[in-house]
Formats: sequence, structure tokens, C-alpha cells
Amino acid sequence: MRKIATLLLSAGLVASATTAIASSPKEDLEKFRAYFEQKFPGLQLDDFGNGAYALDADKRMQWEAMEEFPPYDEFVDKGREIWEKPFKNGKSFADCFGKDPSKVRVRYPHWDAKTKQVVTLEGDINKCLKENGEKPFKWKKGPIAWLSAFFGYEARGQKINVVIPDDPDAIKAYEHGKHFFYAKRGQLNMACADCHVKYPGHFIRGNLLSPALGQVTHFPVYRAKWAKKSKDGDGLGTLHRRYGGCNKQVRARPFKAQSKVYRDLEFFHQYMSNGLTINAPGYRE
Amino acid sequence: MMKKTIISVGLALLIAGCSASQPEKPMSLKEQYEAALARTQAAVEKAASMEGEWRDIRWKKSKKRYLPKAIEAAKAGDYEKALKLLSIAEFQAEMGYKQAMAEKNAGPHLYGL
Repeated sequence: MRKIATLLLSAGLVASATTAIASSPKEDLEKFRAYFEQKFPGLQLDDFGNGAYALDADKRMQWEAMEEFPPYDEFVDKGREIWEKPFKNGKSFADCFGKDPSKVRVRYPHWDAKTKQVVTLEGDINKCLKENGEKPFKWKKGPIAWLSAFFGYEARGQKINVVIPDDPDAIKAYEHGKHFFYAKRGQLNMACADCHVKYPGHFIRGNLLSPALGQVTHFPVYRAKWAKKSKDGDGLGTLHRRYGGCNKQVRARPFKAQSKVYRDLEFFHQYMSNGLTINAPGYRE
Repeated sequence: MMKKTIISVGLALLIAGCSASQPEKPMSLKEQYEAALARTQAAVEKAASMEGEWRDIRWKKSKKRYLPKAIEAAKAGDYEKALKLLSIAEFQAEMGYKQAMAEKNAGPHLYGL
């Protein structure tokens, strides 16, 4: 009898564990979106792309004032210059990405069936440089963020459309990113989802937490905090720079920008915002 | 026969007495440090293998960096400080691993999704 009970209990545990991870990306997306729509019934889908500024009227006013003369403009221009400047071999980024810069951002991130990994925009920027004999950019800020912001700016108004192909390796990468997002980590024992699924709209110290839905639409982001740290007021940073910052804040060891962990996380994170309008680069506190 | 037994018992007692009178040599601070360092490094790698390493153990931008600072203290001959720092690093590594194991099945279901 005891053996039967043990077997049944084990079967139950296995079943519940399987149930927990067996939902398809499409099902995940539907539940994710429905959750936020229910949590913030007054918001339209694209409002989520404005993050915390969609939730607080005062902060929104300040943000709109900043957006009148956006501090990121000069860095988007620098990104444009990088785009236009030919490499030493006479080729340019257009040889890697195609002639129309407005068509670039929406293709990322994507699954590469040959290399069996998630490919990000920043990853391909540096790949392009290397293939053309140029020195790759540093991963988190500076020229890579400027060029990425330029691509984002050019793609404004288009929808995020990440495809998770029906390939077991792609699903594995997606599940890895999903698990990372929901797993508590660090000395403060907090998951990405704790702040951005459970508590968006709440304050953490002086900061209003943004909902995870729509977070990626405005990346690369210009943060006032980052601008303060830099010598020339450059507050632009990539999504992976932000991931590292979040992990650091919960006292977990951050992973390297463009590591497999963060690329997989981006795969999941961007997919969850499918259908939202790109409004990059954005300004944040 | 009786005499032999008495001698044997006497010898046994003598040996036992001798060994009992020689207390185990305590580990020096350096030896304690070396053992703790090996234990801590193994614990940190174990936590890292599960993506569960915490910030302040050895990450280069952390102000605390318990593990590298312990090694520095030992190099300077301050084994007491080194052991103190290692005990924090080892504890954090073990907690990071336990946390990662506890979160093995984390997913949207935990948030009602």
C-alpha cells in the first residue's frame, strides 16, 4: 500500500512538474498578455511600451517633457554616422544588414538553425565588424548602443515579431530564458518576475516598477542614471546592460552581455512583447 | 600461560596509553585556510554551474569580493581574516546552490499564469 502511495505521489509530482513547463510559447504569450490586461484594465496594449510612465500621471508628465527634446537624439545621430561610414575594405553595415535600416530591428532576436543559438542585433553588429576586418564594439554601451538605437529609431512604429520555431533546440533556448525570468536568484531572493510581473505599479525605493509586457520596445534605452555616470552625458545602454544591472541589484552575479543566458532571456522576453510597437530608444530615469 | 597474558595486556595498555598521551596535532591557521579555500572554491563552482552564484563572492565589480579578498588576506599572512571571509563566501555559495535547486521548476505557474 505504501509503495502504491509513493508511486502515485511520484507520478503526481512528475505530472505537476511537467504541467508547469509544458505550455507552448503561444500559450505563454496569451496568458502573459491576459494577466497584464487584467492587472491594468485601463491600458491599451501599446501603452505597455511606455513602461512605468503608463502607470503614473506625474511621472508621465515629466517623461513627456523630456521626450520633447530627447537627450538620446545626438547618440542616435552618432549611430546614423556609424551606419553610413564605410569600413576600411570599402563595404559597410548595409552589406550585412541590407540597405534599408528600418527593416533591421524587427528581425531580432531570432533563432539560427545552423548554429543552434539565439542571434541578437548587437551580436550581428559585432559579427559584421569582425567579418569585415574591423574591431568589434564593446557590448553594453557606446557605439554598439548608438547603432542599435539608430536601428530602433528607424523601426519606430513597427511591431515586435519574434518567431520561436518548432525546433526542439529553439524551444529549449526559449524555456531556458523563461526559467531564468521566473527563477528567484541572488541574496535578495528575487526573480525578474517578482518586480515586473507580480509588483509592477509598486514603488521600489523611489522607482516605480514597470510591467514586463512592453519592456523591450524602447531598447536600447537612455537612462538618466547612466548619463550621470558617463563623462559626456551618454546614457544609452543595451538590453543586456540592463539585465546585468537588474541581476546586480538583487545581489546575483550578473552574466556577461551576449552570454547564452542573456540571449535566451532576450528570446523569451522579446517574444512576450510580440505585437507591441517599437518605440526605441526610450528615455527612463 | 598466565604470565604471557599479563604481559600482553600490559603491552596493550602501554601502547594505548602512549597513543592517548599524544594529542592530535591541531591544524595550523594556514592549513585551516587551505582546506576552507578548497571547500569554498568547490562550493562556488557548484553554485555557478546552476546559474546560482551570488554577486559578492568573487564578481570583479563587487565591492565585497569575499573570495579574492580572502586570498589577498592569506597572502598578507592574515589567516584569521582570510578564514572569516571564506566562511561568508562558502555560506553564500551554498545558499546560492540551494536557491537554484529550489527554483529548478520555477515558471509562470508560480505567478498564476
